[in-house]
Amino acid sequence: MLKLIGSILVLVASSYIGFQMASRCQGRPRHLRQIISCLGSLRSHIIYACLPLHEAVAQCTKGTNGPVAIFFQDVAAMLEKNGALTPQEIIKKVLNEMQGILMLKKPEIEVLNVLGGNLGTMNCIEQEKYLLMVIEQLERFENEATRLRDLNTKMYRYLGICGGLAIVIILV
Amino acid sequence: MANNKNIVIQEILEKYIYPVLPHNLVAMISTVSFEKLADLTEIRLRINQPLLLVLGNSDITISPMGKIATNYNESYLCNQEDIHKTLQFISKNSLYAFEHELKMGYLTIDGGHRIGLAGQAILDAGVVKSLKNITCLNIRIAREVKGCANLIMPYIVTKEGRVLNTLIISPPRCGKTTILRDLIRQISMGSKMCKGLQVGVVDERSEIAACKNGISTVDLGIRTDVLDSCPKAIGILMLIRSMSPAVVATDELGRSEDIYAVREALNAGVSVLTTVHGKDINELLDRPYVGDLLQNKYFHRYVVLDDTPCVGTIKKIIDSENNEVLWDAGTK
Repeated sequence: MLKLIGSILVLVASSYIGFQMASRCQGRPRHLRQIISCLGSLRSHIIYACLPLHEAVAQCTKGTNGPVAIFFQDVAAMLEKNGALTPQEIIKKVLNEMQGILMLKKPEIEVLNVLGGNLGTMNCIEQEKYLLMVIEQLERFENEATRLRDLNTKMYRYLGICGGLAIVIILV
Repeated sequence: MANNKNIVIQEILEKYIYPVLPHNLVAMISTVSFEKLADLTEIRLRINQPLLLVLGNSDITISPMGKIATNYNESYLCNQEDIHKTLQFISKNSLYAFEHELKMGYLTIDGGHRIGLAGQAILDAGVVKSLKNITCLNIRIAREVKGCANLIMPYIVTKEGRVLNTLIISPPRCGKTTILRDLIRQISMGSKMCKGLQVGVVDERSEIAACKNGISTVDLGIRTDVLDSCPKAIGILMLIRSMSPAVVATDELGRSEDIYAVREALNAGVSVLTTVHGKDINELLDRPYVGDLLQNKYFHRYVVLDDTPCVGTIKKIIDSENNEVLWDAGTK
C-alpha cells in the first residue's frame, strides 16, 4: 500500500515538474508578444498624443494583464515619482525586481535595458525609429521563442510523466 | 505687505521651482531667507558660471555652502549635470513632448513659469529644428498679482462698458503678462465699470493661464475660455469662430501671421488685449508688422510699462487717437 502511495506521489511530482517547465516554455513567447504589443501602443502614445513618458507608459498596457502589465505600470509609477532616475535606471531596477516573474532571457532583458537608454531623450521621429527597431528585435526573439515552445512543450510534459514512471519502475 | 511677498515666493519656490531643480541647488537656494528672495524674478544657470538669483534690478550668487557670495570666486559654479538634471526634471524624461517649445527656445512649467533655453541650434533648411547641448537656463518666476491692473481699467473701458483695443508695450521682465492676466480676470469677472464679458485667451506659451492638462491654474475669471499652447494666428481665428468672445487676449505679438489674426479680430468687432516687446511707441512705429497696426491706429489705448522703480510700473497710458497721455507716472 505504501509502495503504491509512494509511486503515485513520485509520478505526480515528476509530472508537475514537467508541466511547469512546459508552461515556462509557453510563457516566454506570450510575454514577448505582450511586450511588443505594449511597445506598439507606447509608440502611438508618444508619436500621436505626445503624452509625457510616464503617462504614455501607463496608458500602453490597456488590454494587457499579468506580469507584463505590472512591469510597465511599475515603470510608469517610478517615472512619475522618481524624477531623478533616468528611464534606463528605472527599467533596470524593475526588471531586477521582476526576475523570475517575467519569463524573459538575457538577450530580451538587454534589449529592454537599451530601450530605456534612449526613451524620452530624442524627438518624436527618432523615438519612433528607435521603438520600431526594438519591436523588430523583440519580434525576432518571439519567433525563436515560439519555435522553441513548439519543440519543447510536449517534450517536457512527456519527460515529466515518463521520468516519473521510470523512477517508479526502478524503485519498485 | 512684505510678509505677504515672502509667503508668495515661498509657495512658488516650494510648489513649482524646487521640484524642477537638482537637490544640490535646492539645498543651496533654500538656505537664503525668503525675505531676501521676496523679489526673486529669475534663477539663471549657465555651465561653468555662478548660479545667479536675479532680485528685481540686482542679482546675487550663492557659495557651495549656501551663503550669499560677495565674491564671484566663492560662488557655486553650475555644471553640465545641473543643467542636464534640471532638463530631465522639467521634461519628466519626455523631451519629445516639448519639441515645439525647444524650437522656440523655452519651456513652460506648472504655475506658468517660463524656462528659457540656450545652447546649440540644430538647423534644417535654414530653420531651427531643435536645440542641442543646452548650456544656459533662465527660470523666470511668474506671479499672479491680483489688482495690479486696477489703474488701467478705467482707461480701457468705455462708459457703455465696452473694452477698448489695448496694446501693452513693455521691455522683457517688466510684468506685461502679469498685468494682462489681471486685466483678463477683471474684465471676465466684471466690475463697477463694466459687466462681466466673455473673454477668449490664446495662450501660445502657456504663461497667461498656466494650464495644466488644459485647465487654468490661475484665476482668469468665470467668463474666460483658454486655448492653450496654440499658435496665436490660428488660435485667435478659432476662438472668434467657435466661442464668440467679446474680448480676445493674447501675449507677445511679433510675427506677420499674428498681426494678420489681430487685424481680423479687430475687423470682426472683437476687442483685443495684447502685448508687445518694446520701450515706447516711437520705437514700435518703425518695426515691421506691429508698426502697421500702430500707424493704422487699430488700437485705442497704449499702456507703456517700465521696471523703475519696480517691475510692473505703469509708465504711461496713451490715447492713440490724438496721442494724448492719459496717465503719466512722471507727473503723478
